[in-house]
Amino acid sequence: MTQTEIRTPPRSPVAGPAAESVVRPGGNAVDRGRKRLFVPFVGPAFLLYTVLFVGPALYAVWISFNKWAGAGPMEFVGFGNYVRLFSDKLFIQSFLNTLLLLFVVGIAIFVIAFGLTLVLRDMAGKKIARSVIFFPHLVNAMIFGVLAGFIFNPAGLVNTMLGGLGVEDPPAWLSQDNLFPLIMVMMTWITTGYFTTILMAGVDRIPPYYYEDCALAGANAFQRLRYVILPLTWDVFGTCAVLWTISSVKIFEIVWVFGGSTGQGMPPTQTWTTAVYTYVTAFSGESVPAYGAATASAVLSLALVSVLVLLLRRVMKREAVEF
Amino acid sequence: MAKIRKMSALLVGGVLAVTASGCASQAGSSDALTYWSMWKEGEAQQKVVAAAIADFEDETGITVNVQWQGRDNVKKVVPTLNTNKVPDLVDGSFAKLAPILAETGQAKSLTEAYDAEVDGSTVADLIPSAYLDADELSVDGGDAPWMLPYSLTSDAIWYNAAAHPELVENPPATWDDFIDTLDQLKADGEAPLAIDGDVSGYNAYWFTAAIVRTAGPGSLKEIATDPTGEGWDRPEALEAAEMVEQLVDGGYFIDGFNASKWPAQQQAWADNQAALLFNGTWIPTETGPYAADGFEYSSFPFPHLDGGNTAQRADFVGFAVPAKAKNAENAQALAAYFLGEEYQNALGTDAKILPIRADAAVSPEMTTVKEALDAADGYFQQNDGISFPGYTEKLLWPAIDQLVLGKVSAAEFIELMKSGQVDYWKQNS
Repeated sequence: MTQTEIRTPPRSPVAGPAAESVVRPGGNAVDRGRKRLFVPFVGPAFLLYTVLFVGPALYAVWISFNKWAGAGPMEFVGFGNYVRLFSDKLFIQSFLNTLLLLFVVGIAIFVIAFGLTLVLRDMAGKKIARSVIFFPHLVNAMIFGVLAGFIFNPAGLVNTMLGGLGVEDPPAWLSQDNLFPLIMVMMTWITTGYFTTILMAGVDRIPPYYYEDCALAGANAFQRLRYVILPLTWDVFGTCAVLWTISSVKIFEIVWVFGGSTGQGMPPTQTWTTAVYTYVTAFSGESVPAYGAATASAVLSLALVSVLVLLLRRVMKREAVEF
Repeated sequence: MAKIRKMSALLVGGVLAVTASGCASQAGSSDALTYWSMWKEGEAQQKVVAAAIADFEDETGITVNVQWQGRDNVKKVVPTLNTNKVPDLVDGSFAKLAPILAETGQAKSLTEAYDAEVDGSTVADLIPSAYLDADELSVDGGDAPWMLPYSLTSDAIWYNAAAHPELVENPPATWDDFIDTLDQLKADGEAPLAIDGDVSGYNAYWFTAAIVRTAGPGSLKEIATDPTGEGWDRPEALEAAEMVEQLVDGGYFIDGFNASKWPAQQQAWADNQAALLFNGTWIPTETGPYAADGFEYSSFPFPHLDGGNTAQRADFVGFAVPAKAKNAENAQALAAYFLGEEYQNALGTDAKILPIRADAAVSPEMTTVKEALDAADGYFQQNDGISFPGYTEKLLWPAIDQLVLGKVSAAEFIELMKSGQVDYWKQNS
């Protein structure tokens, strides 16, 4: 939310033409110095960003208007690829899965992370607890995907334990219909620690005298949450929400290995997200690649992220409380 | 104004940078070639290829710049096809090379390789002609195939000969015999069939093999090509689906196959927890490390319908040369060289895969497969050669999954494919 703007000093309405001539064109020495340094400082970053990101992104938009197998001639089809995507049941399903991850898993993560934050704030041994909670995030999501296979296999750890408890007929954990809910649970578990850590940093920042004040005023835990913690960490929440939105739309690897038998084939369509849909359309290796349709799907994902981030920033916008 | 000028200078700079980055090129040399291999360092097949390359370099003085990339090598070729830096030689399975190189017109016709002389005869004569008859290998306007196969993968119904000597004596030949065998195994208290139901490709083997039996090789592709989807009304299609349904309804598949993760079920099979496994010719190598003590690999081909065809799956693995390759001649020379007897025998005995040459040695595990291939009256490719964009991944495989996992009946499967195919061609025509 911090923006550095180069402002020219506002002109005083009372100043006449004489006063005008005192203000030299181009502002004061500092401003002029800043302007001189604008190109050398911004230039390299701008160049790199253009070459490595803006250029390819624009090219991707162009590809999405074509039918193309990755090599050979391109055939211009206008919005054909986009129309096609919206009439493809599989794409709609993948899109819905992405939204499920974004909203359902997102809400779960934030509720749990916030709960943990409150518990961990004045718990003994909180430093160790924090590290432990953060740990799953350090490990690549793929590892959990592979691990889940071992744990949930018919003769795996979970069923063996359930068998010991006398469960005769355990659920078919890894059946096609159960995979996506499992992925959602796994995703929540992996990501919660990460956001807990960020939220805790925000909560730790709150000076202790506010709590003392609460204690003196006789506020209960809920009131303390409502009037102190929430308002003072609101901007941290907003940032976390944006971070989650961006990362959730890109979720790919855990889906790919969870059902995808560790590189042997691909995951069942019930678990596809738009990222998986995009990948299969372009790189399945089993049929002629459809780069146009794949980029169209990627561009739509990008549009989704942009719109959601803008909306989120709108919704979360509050006057930042200075303290 | 100054601001605008600066911004536009930056913009122009950015555009120039983008343009410049697309123009890199490299000059080729005539005594070298670049080869992107599908094998990884340490694999048995890689050792055979590496030995051949060493001999080739000694004999010809051509330097081979080889990169052992592994199975994703063909995917990595795609981005190079729009530049001038393509590799001169790649190898892979037909199913991976065809959509990327052949169907986009990016594969060279390998005239020189097929005309080359190896062990006293031309390469074209070394490869059994029945394999080369496949239409899919030809290039428009080319007078030689675009792919030079050096080995085959096929499939078979695998079992442990030590545990089931009766199958060695008397393998079930027809579908009815096969069902009797399954019933017998079940009555003996053994799980008849192992299958990793999470691998769509493996589930699809059953239906593809069945429809090849009912309607012949190439029929599935023909049905798939029809935008009206009416091909699915053919009785042979339903019959094939019913064959698969019979296996599901009979409860022949191992418990938990619908909720496990590869390779759990093939491990169970190698541990003698199930009798049979319908899978590819890589199974002995792949399951070898965890197979039970004394496991003896043997197999019989997918049963035929009484009096019907005995076509076998023959997926080529071999070389292709991109159209833009600078050292295409050298690449073709190496491709032909690899068909030499020494390397073909080594592929059979050391790497335990099926060499393409009919006279090459094979390992004991592969003898039954080789016999079935030699006796076959036709050949088909994985997915019957279908490579339409997304058809297998988004329509055929998910539908076959449902059939094999017992979620839909044979009739519902046909309905699913028919309506799905109409939608598919509406979107992809």
